[in-house]
Amino acid sequence: MSYLNLENLSKSFKDDKVILNLNAKIDKGEFFVVFGPSGSGKTVLLRLLSGIMLLDNGEIEMDSQVINEFQPEERDISMAFQNFALYPHMKAYDNIASPLRADNKNIPDDEIDQKVKEVASLLKIEHVLNQFPKELSNGQKQRTSLARSLISKPSVVLLDDPLRNVDAKIRFEMRLELPRVLKEFNTTVIYVTQDFREAMALGDRIAVLYDGKFNDINSPKNIYQNPSSLTTAKLFGDPTINNFDANIKKQNDFVHVDVKGEQFKLKRKTDIQDGDCIIGIRPEDIILSNEPSENSIEVEFRTKTPLNLRIVFLVRLNNGLEFLCSTTEEESQLIDENKKMYISFLDEKSHFFDKETKRNLE
Amino acid sequence: MKINRKLFPYVLTLPALLVCVGILIPFFTAVYYSLQRYNLKMPHMKGFIWFDNYVNIFSDPSFWNTIRVSLTYTFFTIIIELLLGLGIALLLAKRNWLNNILGVLLVLPLMIAPALASLIWRLLINPNFGIVNYLLSFIGIDDFTWASHPDTVLFTLIMVDVWVFTPFIMILLLAGLRSLPRQPFEAAELDGVPEYYKFFRITLPMLFPFILTASLFRLLESIQQFDIIYALSQGGPGESSMVFQVSAYLQTFQYTNIGKAAAMMVVLWAICYFLCHVFVKQWHKLKIKTKGELLQ
Amino acid sequence: MKFNVWVLLKILAYIAIIMFFLFPIAWIFNMSFMTNEEILRKVPVLFYEPTLKNYIGLWKGEIAIEGFATMYVYFKQNLINSAILSVGSVSVTLLLGVPAAYAFARYKFKGGEDIAFTLLSFRFAPALLIILPLNLYFSKIGLYDSYFALIWVYQLITLPLLLWIVRGYFEDISPDIEYAYRLDGHSWFQSFWRISIPLAKPGIAAASLLCFIYAWNNFVFALILGSSQIQPVTVGALAFITASAIPYGLIACGIVVSVLPTLILALFIQKYLVQGLSLGAIKG
Repeated sequence: MSYLNLENLSKSFKDDKVILNLNAKIDKGEFFVVFGPSGSGKTVLLRLLSGIMLLDNGEIEMDSQVINEFQPEERDISMAFQNFALYPHMKAYDNIASPLRADNKNIPDDEIDQKVKEVASLLKIEHVLNQFPKELSNGQKQRTSLARSLISKPSVVLLDDPLRNVDAKIRFEMRLELPRVLKEFNTTVIYVTQDFREAMALGDRIAVLYDGKFNDINSPKNIYQNPSSLTTAKLFGDPTINNFDANIKKQNDFVHVDVKGEQFKLKRKTDIQDGDCIIGIRPEDIILSNEPSENSIEVEFRTKTPLNLRIVFLVRLNNGLEFLCSTTEEESQLIDENKKMYISFLDEKSHFFDKETKRNLE
Repeated sequence: MKINRKLFPYVLTLPALLVCVGILIPFFTAVYYSLQRYNLKMPHMKGFIWFDNYVNIFSDPSFWNTIRVSLTYTFFTIIIELLLGLGIALLLAKRNWLNNILGVLLVLPLMIAPALASLIWRLLINPNFGIVNYLLSFIGIDDFTWASHPDTVLFTLIMVDVWVFTPFIMILLLAGLRSLPRQPFEAAELDGVPEYYKFFRITLPMLFPFILTASLFRLLESIQQFDIIYALSQGGPGESSMVFQVSAYLQTFQYTNIGKAAAMMVVLWAICYFLCHVFVKQWHKLKIKTKGELLQ
Repeated sequence: MKFNVWVLLKILAYIAIIMFFLFPIAWIFNMSFMTNEEILRKVPVLFYEPTLKNYIGLWKGEIAIEGFATMYVYFKQNLINSAILSVGSVSVTLLLGVPAAYAFARYKFKGGEDIAFTLLSFRFAPALLIILPLNLYFSKIGLYDSYFALIWVYQLITLPLLLWIVRGYFEDISPDIEYAYRLDGHSWFQSFWRISIPLAKPGIAAASLLCFIYAWNNFVFALILGSSQIQPVTVGALAFITASAIPYGLIACGIVVSVLPTLILALFIQKYLVQGLSLGAIKG
């Protein structure tokens, strides 16, 4: 029995169907990442869950109780906002203490004090508790906002792209620190991000949101290695996955590929049918070399650029088709751009997608 | 406390809404009165006469006099206040200690009740001891008649209106001037553009929305001015300063002719309603514009 | 040479502006410290012994004039009335206007803008049009000559003013801050009271002061809807000046006392004045 059950959630604004028949089952204590491109409705989804917005359709069930009509304050769900949403007229201390001061809780002041200090030390912001939000750095604001969302140990914590508005260094630190902090509270986390690396680094499971619903819900590894559709495949990876229309024909252990007259073969087994499809292959799954090998294709060098500690090459087939290949720094040193260049594919890592529906055919 | 979320905003506005309705009822009553023969002194003659009151006032030369006086008053107050307000705003635009202090002090007349402003001026232009008369005698003007003569009463009233409300235009335009972007001026300076050209081609056009909003604001108030005129001349001498509202006031309380007074007020309301629409549009535009600039 | 002419013109302009706009106020203050004889001199006296007689007389309500019997003036009641009416109007406006301003700022609801603009248009409706029928109504139901009735009518000017200024301040508060507070476990009312109101406080304070000034300065409502028992200083001062035999110094003193509260308040809300006067359209 899952803890948080989302059934056919729908929400539209005028004619814009932002969330359409979204389903998910989330377990207690799970770190559930919602990943999607900007504008895909991630924030709207969190607002629906927290009760800031009301559903048009569907049911939110939490701990076997339908909470659709609950007011935000009745849901035992907390949220850290992307823009932090700290109370500008309260010191960091009072910001963090706010959830404990709700009327129905009746927590004595010394207990509040103790808890605030506890969570502040966990997030390393004890020294700024007496400052107002406008005196805090972005990183401190973000920690304060996190502290506020965690202090009352809510059943579910919603984190709306909390690392979006902090600089790269803090983002890196927090990515390492966040899982440890969240573990302390042992709560169910729904984490929204539009950075696939963040999603993969943090999530127990990742749900990929576009077209108003979750298209993949799977472990980071599975989503990366076996995306359900070309769209998902394109979202995970930088540079994005190479994809091209092709005609395939199976023969023995090989798949023969015809791309606009250019022919090569992949050594892999598959049960898809012969015919037209889209082949996807990630830039890092392409091997670049100055020496031809058994299944390699000759390419022409176009340009190269460093990206995320790797080197990305743009190369062109004889038929004009362009590929992105990504290599490590060391590998790139071995390649002489002025000589003839060849590419070959890590055969098992190629994906086949349907031409019309873009679904993964395997 | 569970209130339907859709109804909630209405709950919040309900009290204000009730006041709204409370104002609309007398408004419709007034319109209703304007269609009646209704004189407090002759209650038994009360009856429905459709548009006779309107026909009457429009064929009454004294009503046309009222319109003429009102428009003259409005026209001159706006023009003078606008030019003077713009002039002062330009003079004070640069921030320095003198301008900052004057910017504060010059608002004071605006904060005085217009009725009391009239009284202040009544003391200043009193024929027996008025300091203004004394000062004017130095430049050869003796025994200026002020509010006691039909030829000068409008001048006097307009002067008081200008005294009270020029600061209004001034303060809005000053804020406008100080909010203008610097780049066009800097560019013009680099190009060596002459001052007058800068003023007419850059300052004025950019200030125009502020000028328009401020003047429409004043227009709406000026055409219904009552306090200043009632406290200074009560429409006299004769009918030489008889504006809309003073005229309607006298119709009601001197001649107790409610029907006629209501008809006059409805005519004034129609004018104001039209102006108000123009104003609200312009005001809203300016509001969006200044808000947008803040966001950048 | 040309430079000097400009400077000279500028100085003249400054002098003219100060003379026209500020001298009258200064002179009225001056007059309020003079005796009748000093005022009535054909050539104004510049040096005289200032007296507080006028102020004391105004406060006591009686003034002895040499050669005449003691005069009684009731101006103190007018001052009290002004205070009651202005404070009352502002309080009612706050009570009605702040929640409505919040609703207009925060929610898009059917008819919302229409109501907001209708309220705004009241600000520009001819006052007499509404007061004439009200006068007759109030007489009928016995509300004529009551503070309550006047305060209610005063909403015509104060409510739209507050509504449109405060609305702007609420719009500037990020709704997320309120939602965050709700998610902390507080009810809507608590978030309104502890988050929205404190954050809009400067605007609410400035708008209330401006409403106070407008209410204090109002003339026509009380002129028509109240007897001398409840009339504010604006109407009282007019009766004062038209009554014969009241010393001019006392009149000047009455005027000074009447304008002083608004002048002082104006200094306090300098920063917000532009925004208030333009109903929130221009940020000063």
